[in-house]
Amino acid sequence: MSDTASRTEVPSRVDVSAMLNAPQDVRVSRRWFLDRIAWVSSAVATGSLLARVPVSASSWGPVVTAEAFATDVRLQSVSDLTTLTMSESMSLIRAGTLAPEDLVNAYVDRIEAFDGTYQSYADRPDREDLLAELDETPVDERRSPLRAMCLVPKDNFYTSDLLTEGGSLVFEGFQPDYDATAVTLMRAAGGLVVGKGQMGNLAGGRARVYGTTIPTTRNSWSPDDVRYSPGGSSSGPATAVAARLAVAGIGTETGGSVIGPGNLQGLTCIKPTFGRISLHGVIPLSYTRDHVGVMARDAKDTAILLQVLAQPDPNDPRSLGLPAAPNYALAATAFGGDRPRVRWPTRIGIWPEYLSDDNERVNGLRRGFISELERNPSVQIVPDVTLPDQWEELTSDPLGGSHGDPTAFFIEHLRKDVRNFADRLPRFLNGMLQSADTYVKVQQARNLLLSRMMTQLFNQCDVVLTTGTGPFDGTGIPLMCLPIGFDTDTDTGKTVPRGVIMAAPPFGEERLLAVAAAYQAVSDFHRTFAADPA
Amino acid sequence: MTQVPTRPDPPTDEELNAYIVTRYALLGIDIFVLPESDEDAPMDQERLLENARSILRQDVTAADFDIDPQFHLPVPHPAPFTAWTEEESR
Repeated sequence: MSDTASRTEVPSRVDVSAMLNAPQDVRVSRRWFLDRIAWVSSAVATGSLLARVPVSASSWGPVVTAEAFATDVRLQSVSDLTTLTMSESMSLIRAGTLAPEDLVNAYVDRIEAFDGTYQSYADRPDREDLLAELDETPVDERRSPLRAMCLVPKDNFYTSDLLTEGGSLVFEGFQPDYDATAVTLMRAAGGLVVGKGQMGNLAGGRARVYGTTIPTTRNSWSPDDVRYSPGGSSSGPATAVAARLAVAGIGTETGGSVIGPGNLQGLTCIKPTFGRISLHGVIPLSYTRDHVGVMARDAKDTAILLQVLAQPDPNDPRSLGLPAAPNYALAATAFGGDRPRVRWPTRIGIWPEYLSDDNERVNGLRRGFISELERNPSVQIVPDVTLPDQWEELTSDPLGGSHGDPTAFFIEHLRKDVRNFADRLPRFLNGMLQSADTYVKVQQARNLLLSRMMTQLFNQCDVVLTTGTGPFDGTGIPLMCLPIGFDTDTDTGKTVPRGVIMAAPPFGEERLLAVAAAYQAVSDFHRTFAADPA
Repeated sequence: MTQVPTRPDPPTDEELNAYIVTRYALLGIDIFVLPESDEDAPMDQERLLENARSILRQDVTAADFDIDPQFHLPVPHPAPFTAWTEEESR
């Protein structure tokens, strides 16, 4: 197939009403996205992105919409307020049946009782500070829809009132004087930062004691056994949300750091299209691959927080000039009664060898997930999609890597003392050894891969079930994970959740949320919590 | 008589190590503060150099990658350059 052939050609006859109701992934020109990602590659060298439209033309998406508020929840049936989803809590607070301070106190009670075991937080405010902040939040569902929602950003998001150490000696004691844009947006919507989530050293691996290989954060499903990893690098937010020490959180993903821990802890997470959420005020790893991702307990909560965060930011040119965010909460609202349908007709592709995992139990869970999707009248399963040409070559090191990216930001830190980088030192030194020829080819290969993914993979399907995140992170394509069942970990004997990874074309967040919502309407794995520590 | 070029033998580990430490020294980065070899340490010189050698050797793989010099991404239409070339008014 020709690399210049594209599904983005305008068809001869366009059904305008169908297009207006279509999800964003089919309304946005894929050629335009390719062009934009190529510009981002160039922007690495110039340090800025020459926005194609003036900043003033960037569109703001809707604020949290009516669909964000749960319609069927009663406080009387809830014995522990932290088991409520964000959508349910928002609805009860709006109705006046749940006191916001009761919700905040319930979360702080759990943090104080259990975080000594989980070790999910790096730094956190006092209860009194949180309640004082709550007092100052406007009682206005439009301005402050997230009032009293207890949220956890990873410790690489700048916070003006809490340390931001990036899980590393490199930033030990660092106190920014402003909030990252994502944190600003959460707080502006009424959300409370109940703590900074511990993370892997400079956004790599699981959280550890700074400068050592001693693990800290525990998996919520294995609080008494450190061997079962919480996942990384967004370890703390994953554990905090899964263990009900926060209702939702934000992490960062350069190579699986949201989706990985999300799946290890039974969470529903989304890593949106590159640029969808501002990276301003986030400790950088790669200018071309870093993403902010949302970590929550179900598709609706994921959509709510994504809605709040998916805004243009003049401080991050990568977030400018994108199409306005659609109504994610609507996309994540199941409809169709007892047999909810995916909101749009959707072809779901299955990755080659998807059902050939070494763990046969995982294969069984995946088969069950696919069977459930097959029963959905809006879904067409496409077994064994074919991969784009030269897939292995384009997705493996060195062409599929990003060795030069982290080095550029850290030269002074490297000169100061390489020991501060601990086990992550090679990742930050390698760029010094990579030739310009290789770096150019890596960028060319990235653009070629993205082009082929759109013309040779997403011509077969609208969503693909896959087993890894690397090629999708590298090309800025959206990913989502959700739990599909439980398994027994062979090392620890613990019952642990298993999840799936779904990818969609650029701006396919609505599509992913719609599939997740339809599945979660007929399953309850996302509503199952781990037992508290003994 | 002109000598015919031959492909040099691949550098040895020792030759690459010398290149690596020289490169870091040039940039003012001291890697000798790391323990020479200590598997219990979060990082040591031995592991760092081993990783660095593999990165250098990967450069050969990248160099061998044959990308069509005429390859270009499909351009959105109308392309931004049409404003400069007045293509649309022709």
